[in-house]
Amino acid sequence: MNEMEKEFRSTACPEFEVFLEDHLAGNLAGEDAAKVSAHIQSCAGCRSALVDAAASVRLLSAVEPAAAPDPGFARVMTARIRAEMDRLAAEKSIWQPFVFLGWRFAATATLALALLLTYNATLEYRLQPGLASAVRQAEPRDMFSDPGTTPESRDQALMMMVVESSHGTHQD
Amino acid sequence: MPNVPKGVAASASAISAPLSRRAKGEEERELVRMAQNGTEAAFEELVRRHQQRVFALVGGILRRREDVEDVVQQVFLKAFVSIKRFDLRAAFSTWLYKISVNECWDYLRKKKVRPLVYEADLSEEQVSRLDGIVTADRPPVAADDRAEARQLVDWMLEKIPEQDRELLVLKEIEGFSVQELADILGLNVNTVKVRLFRARGRLMDVYRRRMSRGSLRNASAAGEGKE
Repeated sequence: MNEMEKEFRSTACPEFEVFLEDHLAGNLAGEDAAKVSAHIQSCAGCRSALVDAAASVRLLSAVEPAAAPDPGFARVMTARIRAEMDRLAAEKSIWQPFVFLGWRFAATATLALALLLTYNATLEYRLQPGLASAVRQAEPRDMFSDPGTTPESRDQALMMMVVESSHGTHQD
Repeated sequence: MPNVPKGVAASASAISAPLSRRAKGEEERELVRMAQNGTEAAFEELVRRHQQRVFALVGGILRRREDVEDVVQQVFLKAFVSIKRFDLRAAFSTWLYKISVNECWDYLRKKKVRPLVYEADLSEEQVSRLDGIVTADRPPVAADDRAEARQLVDWMLEKIPEQDRELLVLKEIEGFSVQELADILGLNVNTVKVRLFRARGRLMDVYRRRMSRGSLRNASAAGEGKE
């Protein structure tokens, strides 16, 4: 933005700008038209802004619209679309074997991961059933010398049992 | 792509016949539906119907004749690729114009260019011609005069913010309605009106400042002459 833009302040009353644009386009009628006309008579700022707006219409009407398309544009466009679709199809066919291979690899990896997780879960279960049932059955006060410290989790309980048992071994 | 069915040819031939707006809307929906099913001729007919407005829109934003056709082709290509996702309840033209505006902005961003840049100031002769255009009752008729008018107006448009420039060019030069601009730019109709009105003020502010600079220069030259 340059200096000119920063300094510009419209002289029109903000609440009338919409009506002034309509007035300029000749789209006002009835009560609104009367209200705006009366306001323009009494407000120098709006009057001046409207004069500027009308001048801008004259100025811009001197400019011709952008170039029209060639008569054969639609046909050219269809040919371009066809060429583009052919190119995309060719590109797709080049990558097709790799895409297929990629999907197969992803499916194999998912299956392997599922097997690994299942195996891990069963192994854990097989190694720990005795310990787990001991923890479930025992009351905290039976397991620990200090009943005030109740374990918060199963891991903590196991850790405390190990410490307790090592203490017992040392005492023996 | 599939071959063109007989129905499309009949539909395309019916286009030239005068139709009511409602019937035209219905027919256009049918063309869109066929294009969604991959009918090439239906899409070609849609291109034929909307090419003029898309050229005006893209030309209005870019204002570089040499780039316009490339961008318009890109617009229709994108429309063809994504037409299956188009909701038939919406207006096809608005959807297409939105693609056009986005494509223009993408193009300007990628190219890192402003729509048009006039670094040099106007000569005093050009300033007086500009004054002639503003105060004249009618726009110039001769091709040379119109070409020059475009150059002078472009110089002025360059001095106002891009959003204002787009609105003014699309409304006053390319002939889009306020409602169309609101739909294309996703704005409220009253917001478009206020922005347009302020943009007009900014444009004329540029003109006034340039004129006052010229008269100041003339006054100082006259003062020096007296001395």
